[in-house]
Amino acid sequence: MTWWRKWLSAILFGSTLLSSHAAVSQQTELDMRSGKALYERFQCWQCHGYEGQGGRSGPRIADKTYPYSVFSVFVRYTNLMPAYSPSELSDAQLEQIYQFVQSLPAPASLEDVSIVDYE
Amino acid sequence: MTSNKDQPSDLSMDRRKFLSSATAVSATTIIGSSMAPAAEASDKSVKPPSASQLMMEDEVPEGYSAEQAKDYFVSSPGSDFMVDVVKQMGIDFVTTNPGSSFRGIHESIVNYGGNQAPELLTSVHEEQATAMAHGFYKVTGKPLIPLVHGTVGLQHASMAVYNAWSDRVPMIILAGNHMDVMDRRAGAEWAHSAQDCIRVVRDYIKWDDQPVSLQHFAESMARAWKIAMTPPRGPVAIAIDGHLQEAERGDLKLQIPRITPTQPPVGDEGAIAEAARLLVEAENPVIVVDLMAHDQTGIERLVELAESLQAPVVNQFGRMNFPNRHHLAQGASVIAQADVILCLELNDTWGTINTMRDRVHRESQRRARSDAKVIDIGVKDLFIKSNYQNFQRYFSADLSIAGDGQATLPSLTEAVRSAMKRSRRLSNSERELRWQSQHRRSFEQALDTARYAWDASPVSTARLFSEIWQVAKDRDWSLVSDDKLKSGWGTRLWPMSKHYHYLGRSGAGGVGYGAPAAVGAALALRDKGILPINVQSDGDMMFSPGAFWTAAHHNIPLLTVTHNNVGYHQENMHLQRMAVRRRRGTEGNSLIGNELRNPDLDLAKIAGGMGVWSEGPIHDPNELGPALKRAMDVVDQGEPAFIDCRCQPR
Repeated sequence: MTWWRKWLSAILFGSTLLSSHAAVSQQTELDMRSGKALYERFQCWQCHGYEGQGGRSGPRIADKTYPYSVFSVFVRYTNLMPAYSPSELSDAQLEQIYQFVQSLPAPASLEDVSIVDYE
Repeated sequence: MTSNKDQPSDLSMDRRKFLSSATAVSATTIIGSSMAPAAEASDKSVKPPSASQLMMEDEVPEGYSAEQAKDYFVSSPGSDFMVDVVKQMGIDFVTTNPGSSFRGIHESIVNYGGNQAPELLTSVHEEQATAMAHGFYKVTGKPLIPLVHGTVGLQHASMAVYNAWSDRVPMIILAGNHMDVMDRRAGAEWAHSAQDCIRVVRDYIKWDDQPVSLQHFAESMARAWKIAMTPPRGPVAIAIDGHLQEAERGDLKLQIPRITPTQPPVGDEGAIAEAARLLVEAENPVIVVDLMAHDQTGIERLVELAESLQAPVVNQFGRMNFPNRHHLAQGASVIAQADVILCLELNDTWGTINTMRDRVHRESQRRARSDAKVIDIGVKDLFIKSNYQNFQRYFSADLSIAGDGQATLPSLTEAVRSAMKRSRRLSNSERELRWQSQHRRSFEQALDTARYAWDASPVSTARLFSEIWQVAKDRDWSLVSDDKLKSGWGTRLWPMSKHYHYLGRSGAGGVGYGAPAAVGAALALRDKGILPINVQSDGDMMFSPGAFWTAAHHNIPLLTVTHNNVGYHQENMHLQRMAVRRRRGTEGNSLIGNELRNPDLDLAKIAGGMGVWSEGPIHDPNELGPALKRAMDVVDQGEPAFIDCRCQPR
């Protein structure tokens, strides 16, 4: 293979990677937006809050790192919360909700909020 | 102020003689000087009859014959004597919505009694009048009198009476009735009469009576006070006959019985020694407490016991039982590790030791270790009724002791100290370090969690409580509302050590308790310089918004901020659980019947319509702090203030 063919192949391979990454990002973005809509539709906010912050009725789910497999088990099988079955909430929809929950940002540091003044 | 000795011993004496003797001599009183209510009453000024009253008694008004005067005028109505009785009991307020079946005593309170001790508190609904008495007791430890129609009024009041009963809160309900058919006018007086008017609430009061004479009334009131105030405390009711109130008392020689408060029951000495032995020998003793502390003394006594053992305390917050920033204040998870669990005045011991999840098949699991010994101290077994099941599931404790928790604590602490060997005492420093560390971790975790959704709109409940704290922290304050449905941020974050820092819950979850109970508590705090803070649920407020009018009318300073989640959120979650369980949870229909939208409630306008300064709705959390400062300017002038804040669900 001549040098320019190698160079062309590398460019093509790289651009394929980039476009594929862009496609993945676009898909993730789409999933997050859909996930937010599904989060609201399936009433996840009732126990976990609109920002996933949690409360007495449900734990915080924002800013936590866990794989989708663990997330799905909690939603479907634990009896800790109402069990959303795949026929009601598909795997694809649940993944979109997962993407949304994972995208929820970390909060401000304690020093930046006025809750520290409790001593 | 007058002292006990200034009171007449025989209220049948001529009032002119009373006037002269009250100022000149120490009458031989039949009112006890050693008991609390009379002692309290003795500090209240009892107005002598006015000149016009005296004229009415002794003289036939000009233009009337003696016979005519008897037809037109009553010089000494029975309800005046009733007010004398109430005054001697040290009752500060009578909460009421007016009604014809008690117009006699109403008039006597405001004119004969001078509307002082008791003062009439105007309410726009009997349920609110009763809940105000509930809130007042939580601060002062003193009962009030809700004054209601025996029929329609008591029917209105009944849910609030059930709350009080379940929360072990004493009050003396006076219910107007017309007993004699020959005295009833046609129409309303028949509709407002009953053969047995108290029956409607009898399932959830401790005692009731329907006196047929004034002396009977006096005795029944004394008995009512004793029964209501003896643990387990609770409401009592007296039906007051319209004719008895309105007719001449005549020349009857009437006496007001002395009230001697009953000392609370204390646990058996041998059983206390056994409880102490179990606690001292335990590796991981845990104390769980709910409805224990009647006042600050109860908190101090529990601190003594807990520190003697260095045992963690789980407060279920029926009362402010234990300082929440004490290193021994711990979460319920410690119950799982305990080998001995001391339960103090729990209403639900079974539900403390076990759990039952909301599942299709209800199965319970023991939360505590299978070998954990359970000591149950409290008064719940001393008085129980059949119909309403608020007594919770039966639990077979290893050692069950009937006795008032607060009254029993000194002997238990003494027994613990006596039973403790040196080696056990030495282990306390290691225990203290362990619990200090765990307490610090829990608090840091709470702070960490509170950061989430800090800038969110609707406002997070943690942010709500944090912003309120900014205006409360440099004052003495009282959280007069339940915080459980607001994720417990008040009890988790605000440092609480005083009895009035937190007043607990409604008792039976009867909705509509929040606003009037807050007003009753604020009334109790009005002259103490303590800021009452009411974090008001929107759904609860819609049951009893008129309570805010009472606060405005009587100049009761109260800071109210709503936790407005635009619906009945608890029920929202219940409906979603039902729908998901039936695999119909995808359509978002759980809002139907549960949300308060379309139109959205303008709670600020509602409060404003009650004559209360108000702002809102606030959606932006950054606007809450400045609004609170404006509200505090109003509260500092002795008025109620109200902010409507749109919040996250929990």
